[in-house]
Amino acid sequence: MFARSTRSTLAAASKRRYVCPLCLRRARRSQLGDARLPTQIKSQSFQTESQPPPPQDDTPFRKLLKDAAKQQKKEKGSSFEQPATSAKSTDPRLKKWELTVGIEVHAELNTARKLFSSAATSISETPNTHVSLFDLAFPGSQPHFQKETLIPALRAALAFNCEIQHKSSFDRKHYFYQDQPAGYQITQYYEPFATDGKLTLYPHDFPPGAAPQPGPFDIGIKQIQMEQDTAKTVQQPPSTHLLDFNRVSHPLIEIITLPEIHDPVVAAVVVRKIQNVLKSVNACTTGMELGGLRADVNVSVRQRGGDSSEAGHSYHGVTGLGQRTEIKNLASVKAVEDAIIAERDRQIDLLESGGVIEGETRGWTLGSKTTKRLRGKEGEIDYRYMPDPDIPPVIIGYDLIEHLKRTLPKLPDVNVDSLVQTYGLTTKDAITLLSLDDGSRLDYYLETVNILLSQTKGQESDVPLETIGKIAGNWVLMELGSLFHSEPWDPTRIPPNFLAGTISRVRRKQITSPSGKRLLSIKFDGDRRTVQEIVQQDNLLLSPLSNDEYMSLAQSLLDEKPEMVKDIVEKKQTKKVMWFVGQMMARTKDGSVEPGRAEEVLKGLMGLGEEKL
Amino acid sequence: MSLYKYAKLYALNQSKYAHLNAFNSLVDPSALLARKSVSKAGRSKDDKYDVISGLPMAIKDNICTKELKTTASSGTLKDFTSPYDATVVKLLQDEGAIIVGKTNMDEFGMGSHSTHSHFGPVKLQRYEGEEASAGGSSGGSAVAVASSQCWAALGTDTGGSVRLPAAYTGVVGFKPSYGLLSRWGVIAYANSLDTVGIFGKNAKGVGAIFDKLNVHDPQDPTSLPPSTRKRLGRQRRDMSSLRIGIPLDYNIATLDPTVRQAWIRRLKFLWQCGHTLHPVRLPATQHALSAYYVLAPAEASSNLAKYDGVRFGSRAEGIDGTPDSVLFAKTRGQGFGSEVQRRILLGAFSLSAQAIDNYFIQAQKVRRLVQQDFNNVFATPNPLFDDTTSHSEDMTDKVDILICPTAPSSAPSLSDVKTQDPIHSYMNDVFTVPASLAGLPAISVPSPANPEEGTPEYEHRDSYFHSVGIQIIGQYGDDKLVLDVAKKVEESARTPLTRGGPEVKSWGHSLFNDGTSNERYRYGAQALELGNTITEAKAMHEAAEQEKTNKGAALLQETLGLEHLTEAAELSNKSLEEYIAKFAGVEDPLEAERGFHAYMSKKKDKGLRTAREQEKSKEVTTPFVEHLGHERLH
Repeated sequence: MFARSTRSTLAAASKRRYVCPLCLRRARRSQLGDARLPTQIKSQSFQTESQPPPPQDDTPFRKLLKDAAKQQKKEKGSSFEQPATSAKSTDPRLKKWELTVGIEVHAELNTARKLFSSAATSISETPNTHVSLFDLAFPGSQPHFQKETLIPALRAALAFNCEIQHKSSFDRKHYFYQDQPAGYQITQYYEPFATDGKLTLYPHDFPPGAAPQPGPFDIGIKQIQMEQDTAKTVQQPPSTHLLDFNRVSHPLIEIITLPEIHDPVVAAVVVRKIQNVLKSVNACTTGMELGGLRADVNVSVRQRGGDSSEAGHSYHGVTGLGQRTEIKNLASVKAVEDAIIAERDRQIDLLESGGVIEGETRGWTLGSKTTKRLRGKEGEIDYRYMPDPDIPPVIIGYDLIEHLKRTLPKLPDVNVDSLVQTYGLTTKDAITLLSLDDGSRLDYYLETVNILLSQTKGQESDVPLETIGKIAGNWVLMELGSLFHSEPWDPTRIPPNFLAGTISRVRRKQITSPSGKRLLSIKFDGDRRTVQEIVQQDNLLLSPLSNDEYMSLAQSLLDEKPEMVKDIVEKKQTKKVMWFVGQMMARTKDGSVEPGRAEEVLKGLMGLGEEKL
Repeated sequence: MSLYKYAKLYALNQSKYAHLNAFNSLVDPSALLARKSVSKAGRSKDDKYDVISGLPMAIKDNICTKELKTTASSGTLKDFTSPYDATVVKLLQDEGAIIVGKTNMDEFGMGSHSTHSHFGPVKLQRYEGEEASAGGSSGGSAVAVASSQCWAALGTDTGGSVRLPAAYTGVVGFKPSYGLLSRWGVIAYANSLDTVGIFGKNAKGVGAIFDKLNVHDPQDPTSLPPSTRKRLGRQRRDMSSLRIGIPLDYNIATLDPTVRQAWIRRLKFLWQCGHTLHPVRLPATQHALSAYYVLAPAEASSNLAKYDGVRFGSRAEGIDGTPDSVLFAKTRGQGFGSEVQRRILLGAFSLSAQAIDNYFIQAQKVRRLVQQDFNNVFATPNPLFDDTTSHSEDMTDKVDILICPTAPSSAPSLSDVKTQDPIHSYMNDVFTVPASLAGLPAISVPSPANPEEGTPEYEHRDSYFHSVGIQIIGQYGDDKLVLDVAKKVEESARTPLTRGGPEVKSWGHSLFNDGTSNERYRYGAQALELGNTITEAKAMHEAAEQEKTNKGAALLQETLGLEHLTEAAELSNKSLEEYIAKFAGVEDPLEAERGFHAYMSKKKDKGLRTAREQEKSKEVTTPFVEHLGHERLH
C-alpha cells in the first residue's frame, strides 16, 4: 500500500535525520513567540532546514506544533484584516510593483549509473574513481544512454502531473568551463521528455499565516528535462581547483516552472515542495543540503495595473512581464527566498530611480544583502543548442508510463489526505507523521495500526479505523515523541508489536494509561521481555476494587480530613476532590484504582453527585 | 612466393616512399616480418580473401590505437596516445591483420587535399617531377595503399574523405552505409556523417575487409542493431541486367572532359554487358554541398570543444587564460590549424541563436531533400523508412545503382591547391557529399583517364598514371551490390595500379618489371588475387592449363577412340596431336569436338566455301550517353 520500504532503507543507510522544515518552522516560530514579520521569521526558519529539532528546546515536539497553531489563531484574531503575506503591507512599494518569479530546479536523480556511461554514480567516493572514457570526453568515445535512468525521471514527471512525451531527444548545450569535459552539456532543449505539469500548493505547505490564499493553488511546470551534471570543483585555497569527475554525467532532471510566482515565500515553498515530492517518489538522491538539488531563479518586477507597453517581455508564453534577471546556483531554500527578495528590491530601487533593468545573470552568496552581477547581456552565453547526433531519440512506451503510474509511491499530499480521512488524524498530526524521520515514523505508525487492527478483528467488532488510528497516532507522536526527544529515532527499541500490545491493553482497560507509559519506558531502556511478561511479572494488570472497597476506602479518607470535606461541600472548593482521588490511588496498589471511578464515588459520598464541577 | 617476402617488400616501400609523408607513425618493420608464420597458416588457396590474416594494413590517424599515437594530424593531439583501441582496429587485429602505421590526413578530417596537417602535407608523386594532391582527408591512407606501403588501409569519410583521395591516387575507396562500421574509437569530426571507409587496390580486397568489419558494435550508439541489419540488401536482382542510373545533375559545367569521357566509357561498357542505362534527376544535389558545409562545421565546432588540454592533449606553453576567462583560450588557439579554426568559427556561427534558423535548420531540411531525391530514384525502398511510404509509383523509372564521377577532375597539383581559396577547395567534394548526407554506400573505382578500355597502353607513361575515379552509389544497405558493380567496372578497365601486386619496387615504371606487357595484362589480376608475381601467376596458370589439357586429351581419346580422332584430324588437315590439343583445353572438349567435326563434315559434304562470319558490330552509343555528352548544368 505504501511503497516506502526502499526509501526507509535509504534513509536508514544515510543515517541522516530529516525533519519537515515547514513543521519545524511552526515550532520555531511559536517558541520565539513574537510577532515579527512573517518573511523574516521564515528566513530564519529556512536556515534550520533539514536539521534535527534544536537541542536546547525541551518542549515536546508536538507541543510546539500546538503552540504554533495557537499562535496562528491569536495572530489571526488580532490582525484579521491583514493579508496573509504581510510583506506587502510593510513595504509600500510592493503595492506599486509586482514581483514575478520563475524557478529552475536541478535535482540529482537516484540512479545506479550515469546518464551516458555505465560508470556507477557516487556521492562521496574517492575522487575520480567512477569515470568512464566518455565521462572524460576522450577522443573517439561515444555516449551510451542508460535507459534505467528514465525510471526515477519518469516518476518525478508523473508526480508533477506532467505529460510524458512519447518521443524525446537530447541536445548539446555549449559553453566552456573546466568542469565540463566535452565543452557541452547534454540536455533536452528541443524535445524534453515531460511537459505541462503542475505543482499544487496547499495552505499546509506554508508557514502559519503565510499562505497567499485560503485554498490550494497550482504553479505551472513548463517542462522537465534530463541532463548531465558537471564535474565537482574542489577548492584548495589559495589558488588550486581540483576536479572530481565522479559527478560528471550524473543524471539530473531540470524542473522549469512557469513565471507564475509573485511572492518570495511561495518561491521558497515551491522549491521545498519540489524537493519533498522528489523524495517521496524516490526520484532524487539527496536534498539541497548535500548539493543534490540546486535552483536558478528568474526575477522580474512590473508595475501593478501598469500598461504592458513598459513591461513587454514574454517568458515561456507568459506575456507582459518586466525585463528579467537570472540568479544562478542557489543551493538552499533560504538562499532562494533571500536572493529573490534582494533582487526584487534592487530592481525596484533601480526602476524608481529612473534606471533600466538589464537582462543579466547574477549571483548570490548566502548572508549577503544584494545580488552580484556575473555577466551582462553582451557577455551572455549563446549556448548554440544542437541535437546530439550520437544519441538516438528516446521512445517511451505507454505501458511503461502506465506501470509507473500504478506503482508511484504516494505523494505527500495524498498521504495527508488519506491519513486525515482514513486514519482519523488531524492534518497537523498527519503532516508531522509524514515529515518525521524521513518517512520511517510513518511506516512505524502504519505497522502499529495494522497490528492493532488484526488484533481487534478476532475479539471486538466495529472498532472504526479512525478510532484506532487516532489512538495510535497519539501514542506514536506524543509518547514516543517524548521518549525519543533527545535520542535519534530507532524503531527497534520499541517494536510496533510492543506498542500495539500496550495500546490495546490500555484501550481495553486491562492496564491504566500510566502503566502503558511505564511499559514503553521500560522497553525503551532495553528490557527484553514482551508486553505480556512485563505486565504479569511487574503486576501491572488492573485488578479493580469492588464497589464496597471503593466505598470504604473513600469513606475512611473523608473521615480523616473533615475540614477538607467541609471546604468542598460548604465552600464549594470542588477542586479539592482531586486531592482525595490522588490519595485513593496512592494508597492502593498500582492500577487498581481508576481516577474517574474514584472521583465518582467520592462525590457520591459527599452528596455532590449531580453537580457539575 | 612467401608472404614473408611481401612483408619485406611492404616494409621496403615504407622507407622508400617516406618522402610522400603518408604516415604519421609506423611500427617497427620487425613487427610486420615477425608475423610470417601466423600469416601463412591463415591463408587457403580457395578462399583467398576470406582471411586477411597477416596482411599489413594502415590506419588513419583519427582512429584510436593503443600501440601508436592517435593525433588526427592535429597539434592539439600531437603526443596523444589513446588508452583504448577503436572497434574497427580490434576487429582487424582479431582477424590477424598487422597494423603497420597511422596515416597522415587533414587535421581532424577537415580538408580535401591532406595538406592541413600538423605533420606537413601528404604528396602524390607517381613519377619524377609530379607533386600532386593526394586528396583528402584520408590522403595518407590512399597514398600508402597506392604505393604499396601496406595492403589496405582504413580511412574515414565524412563528405568524401575516402572516395576523393581514392580517385586522385587511383585506388579503390569504399564508404559503406552509415551505421554499418563501428565509430567507437573514431575521433569525431561530424558524427552524423562520419563513416569508416576502406582503401584497397581492388574491390575484392576491399569487400573482404568490409565483411570483417560489418558487425554490430554495442559501443557505438549509431551502429545498426542486428534486427535492422537483417532488413538490409534483401532485394534480389538480376545481376546480369541491372538498371543503372545516370544522375544528370552531376554533369556540371566544370566537369573535366577527361573525367566526363571516362564516365561515358564506363557507362558504355556496362550497357554492352547487358545492363540498361537511365537518366535520373537529383535536383537537391546543387544545394547538397552548401548544406554539407553548414552541417559538418556545426557538428565539428561542437565535437572539437573538448580539446582544451585539461584531461589529455597538449597545452600551450606558459600560463593560459586570465582570471576572467576560461583556462584554455591560448591552448586552443595554438593547438588547432587554420582550416580547423575556420570550420569551428563557421560552425559556431551557424549554430548561434541568430543564425541557426537560416543555416543549420535549413541545411537539415536540404539534407532531408537529398535523401528523398535518392529514395525517389532507387527501385529499392530505403530500409530505414517504413515500407508504407508511397511505393506504388511506377517502377520503370527506378534504378538499382547510380554511376557518376567521384570528383570533377583528376588530382590537381599541390601548387594549385595552395593558391586555391577555401571555397574552391570545398568544390572538390561536390559529387561525394550527397551520398554522405544521405548515408548511402558509395565506392570510388579507378578508371584509366585516356586509353580505350581493354587496350593496355602501358607504354604511354602520362596517361598510364592518370586515372579518374568513378563513383558507384547504391541505396542504403545495398553495400554488397555497390561492391559487386565496382568489381564489374574494375574488370572493364584495369589500371596498372589495380592490377599491380605488392612487389612494387618503385612506383610506376618498375611496376611491371616482371613479365611481358601481354603477360601482365593476362595474369596481373590473378597475381594480385593470389598475392604473387606475374611470373608466378603465369606459371601457376600454365600448370593448371596443362593439367586441364591433359585431362581433356585423355577424355577425348577414351570416349571417341583413336580411330575417330585420326580420321577427323585428316579431314581438317591437322596432325593427331594438333587435333587433340585443339579441344583438350576447352571447357567441354567432347562438345567442342562434336561441333567442329560436324562442321568439317558438312563443309566437305556440301562443298561449301569456308564460311567467314560477318561480325555484326554493335551500335555502341545510346541516346542517353549522347545526351549526357551535351548536358550542361550549372
